[in-house]
Amino acid sequence: MAATQFTERQTIRVRVNGHEYEREVPVRRLLADFIRHDLGLTATHLGCEHGVCGACTIIMDGESVRSCLLFAVQADGAEVQTLEGLADGDEMHPLQQAFWDNHALQCGFCTSGFLMSAVDLLNKNPQPSEEEIRHGLSGNLCRCTGYANIIKAVQAVAEQSQS
Amino acid sequence: MASSQGGTGKMVGAQVRRVEDPRVLLGKSQYVDDLDLPNSLALAFVRSPYAHARIVSIDADAARNQPGVQLVLTGADIAEAIKPLRVEYEPAKAPTHKPCDWPVLAQDKVRFVGEAVAVVVAADRYAAEDAAGLIDVEYEPLTPVSDVEQALAADAPLVHEEWGDNVMQTLQAEIGDVAKAFQEADCVVSERLTTGRHMALPMETRGCVASFEPATDTLTVWSSTQVPHVLRSHIALVLDFPEHHIRVVAPDVGGGFGQKGHLFPEEAVSAHLARRLGRPVKWIEDRRENLSASLHAKQQAVQAELAIRQDGTILGIRGRFVGDVGAYSEYPWGSAFEAGHAASSMPGPYKTPTFSFEAVSVATNKTTIGVYRGVGLPIGVLTMERLMDLAAQKLKLDPAEIRLRNMIRKEEHPYTTIIGAEVESGSHRESLQKALDILGYQECRAEQHRARTQGRYLGIGIGCYLEGTAPSSAAFASMGLNLGGYESATVRMDVAGKVTVLVGTHSHGQSHETTLAQVAADELGVPLADVKIIEGDTNAVPYGMGTWGSRSAVTGGGAISKASQKLRDKMLRIASRMTEVPDDDLELAEGMIRRKADATPLMPIKALAHRVLVQAGSLPQDEEPGLDATAHYEPPPSTHANATHIALVEVDSDTGKVTLLRYIVVEDCGTIINPTVVDGQIQGGVAQGIGTALYEHALYDENGQFLTGTLMDYLIPTALDVPQVEIGHIESPSPHTPHGIKGVGEGGAIAPPAAIANAVADALAPFEVRVDAIPLTPERVLGWIERHKAAA
Repeated sequence: MAATQFTERQTIRVRVNGHEYEREVPVRRLLADFIRHDLGLTATHLGCEHGVCGACTIIMDGESVRSCLLFAVQADGAEVQTLEGLADGDEMHPLQQAFWDNHALQCGFCTSGFLMSAVDLLNKNPQPSEEEIRHGLSGNLCRCTGYANIIKAVQAVAEQSQS
Repeated sequence: MASSQGGTGKMVGAQVRRVEDPRVLLGKSQYVDDLDLPNSLALAFVRSPYAHARIVSIDADAARNQPGVQLVLTGADIAEAIKPLRVEYEPAKAPTHKPCDWPVLAQDKVRFVGEAVAVVVAADRYAAEDAAGLIDVEYEPLTPVSDVEQALAADAPLVHEEWGDNVMQTLQAEIGDVAKAFQEADCVVSERLTTGRHMALPMETRGCVASFEPATDTLTVWSSTQVPHVLRSHIALVLDFPEHHIRVVAPDVGGGFGQKGHLFPEEAVSAHLARRLGRPVKWIEDRRENLSASLHAKQQAVQAELAIRQDGTILGIRGRFVGDVGAYSEYPWGSAFEAGHAASSMPGPYKTPTFSFEAVSVATNKTTIGVYRGVGLPIGVLTMERLMDLAAQKLKLDPAEIRLRNMIRKEEHPYTTIIGAEVESGSHRESLQKALDILGYQECRAEQHRARTQGRYLGIGIGCYLEGTAPSSAAFASMGLNLGGYESATVRMDVAGKVTVLVGTHSHGQSHETTLAQVAADELGVPLADVKIIEGDTNAVPYGMGTWGSRSAVTGGGAISKASQKLRDKMLRIASRMTEVPDDDLELAEGMIRRKADATPLMPIKALAHRVLVQAGSLPQDEEPGLDATAHYEPPPSTHANATHIALVEVDSDTGKVTLLRYIVVEDCGTIINPTVVDGQIQGGVAQGIGTALYEHALYDENGQFLTGTLMDYLIPTALDVPQVEIGHIESPSPHTPHGIKGVGEGGAIAPPAAIANAVADALAPFEVRVDAIPLTPERVLGWIERHKAAA
């Protein structure tokens, strides 16, 4: 029952969106909380904190991961990308632009996770079929859009990259 | 006030991209948990593991001694400081309604698993949750009331002892001679149905930040809410703190769907603690709390009958809806709303000469029921549409044909329904016909027959509804509920001719920053980019009711139109003096004051704005300075949207899995403000309805223990489960609202249970399956198939 066992702290170095951060964190601090509240990068959202909804998806060392299922200390030495690192200044990434053009978001809470999952999907498979997109995004839950416009947006980017 | 007189009419109806998207897409939106105030503390609630138990003792010493813990409070500690949440109806209008107290922290006994028992305030959420785990509550378990049948038994344990039984409210009505209709009918069909215990499940859980400034004696609450002013008024009430010293801000809100249209115990406790401690406090619930302790929805047991003539004409409907409302009553609306709404929605678009219903709302030891997109309609429509299919089957009529024969015809509008609603306009038969055309009904039937010969089970299901959108203040008053249906807006023009609109609705995904700006842009003849919509801050916007009930386009749009008209009248009056053209001959369009007859531009709007606001000395003496106007818009008693949904499904007879092959919606929400947004609302609503029909069920065991506490247990549709909905539109404008708008927010979620249940029943006709329950999980569907096989 002694909660004090969790007070151990450790210093970590993480590169997030190209910036190097060195911070001391409690060893049990979630990566998601570290990103959101220690670094102030609040585009990454928490929808379930048990790894199902995908709202907290980020890219870590080239793989999409759920930042609610990782401790910050596990990101020591890693290269992390969050939604804040996707655009080039105010110049939207093609996926952001396609989400806008296709009305692929409503409340916007899940959007960050979808964008990061879509980045990962297109990195690995630049020309996915509709079925592959649906599978690739099936680990992200959206309660507003009914998914159709999200799929269209990803298709639009895949088509652009083809042409 | 039939339509816009002011603008060019170019923006209402236009397919424009959303104004709100760039900030979300670039990660700059601000949801409540994104707000980290300095010196802030975090809350964690201790929740009951029992469905029904007496609290014997609470030992919080260990928690209080934890590092970082500021305060631990139990029910006894705050009983004086915070009033319980108590839903009151006007007794004369709701004579059978029994109010109950929902203590913000349990007093004496707990009534559902997840009920808040104590709260810990600590340096951060980790410390708060650690300490919450150290609080030792001793319970004396009581027999739980775990379903409505048990709750209604003579010797049932009581959820609220003071009631004498477990019935929160019974609503009854008999309109016309129903008994005679049933005697004279050629055919009577009946059905018993049970529905799942669903929930809204916004992707952002509930949460708030509360802060108190002693210098100004001001309490500020940022909450993930749909109803900022409702929250402000009720925080003032339960804390007994003056409302004009409270500011509520709804920042970006990550979905609500009804769930966030309430004041919750946790928000009242947070507000109290901020004031008590003089430090900001933050409460962000986790998903388990959201699943177990926010609000559930829709669980009902229904018994209904339809009396019908040989030619398919409806003679009468009887329905009894028993709603499992859980432990308390959603505040401040009341949980008994649900069953009554379901029952009264049964006649829908069908001309019904006689109708009787009973709606019984029954308390159990479960999470409280609250409104969720469509409220009672998905269940009422499911019931009616199942009966229509059963009648068609019995009379050997086509399911589409029996509906067409009974629907209100276009030429019959305004049509007064059996429950006294005036349906102002609509396209009931037309929407059904159009949906059948989109589907290719006859070809689909042929395909169904071909598939059956190959051992594949396809089914076609129709669901039609009539939705009373944007309920008025009078509609609520007639139920005994003290709640406004009106909306308020202030429209301001600045010296550059740009427009700020402050409105009491609140968008949590509905795109108001775009659609309401489209309305204002047309009314004032300015470009869309020159309009900014502000919602959600009670210090900024006039008193309004927030967003729910497919109301915002009608009421928010109505208030903006009305305020804009006041402003426009003044602008044209002043412009008339300046141009010496009569104001009746002037209009605002394309940023200009123009002569109406030939669209000749006379002066830029911004020049007029500058003149009125800055060079006020040159104003005519009888004109007040200033360029803003406020209006309060009361909608008609109800506006009526309608739609037809058709589902084409395939059922795997080996696994019971239902696959949606196609899904068609032909909707009529009156005038469409933005087609992209309407399609988005339909697609998203249908996805939720698919969840209601196929997957979602908040489960309890016989001890009242909650079993679906993760998103691995409570399943919502994913990208693999929702087809691209094929959407058709018909526009039957309301003659009573500005622009003819009717409202569309809830519509998509209303008919999927009906359409999908009918499609599954149709697919499984060879197995003589009776589809009498949702969700249609593989396990349930397979059970029906296997029972048939075993009996055969």
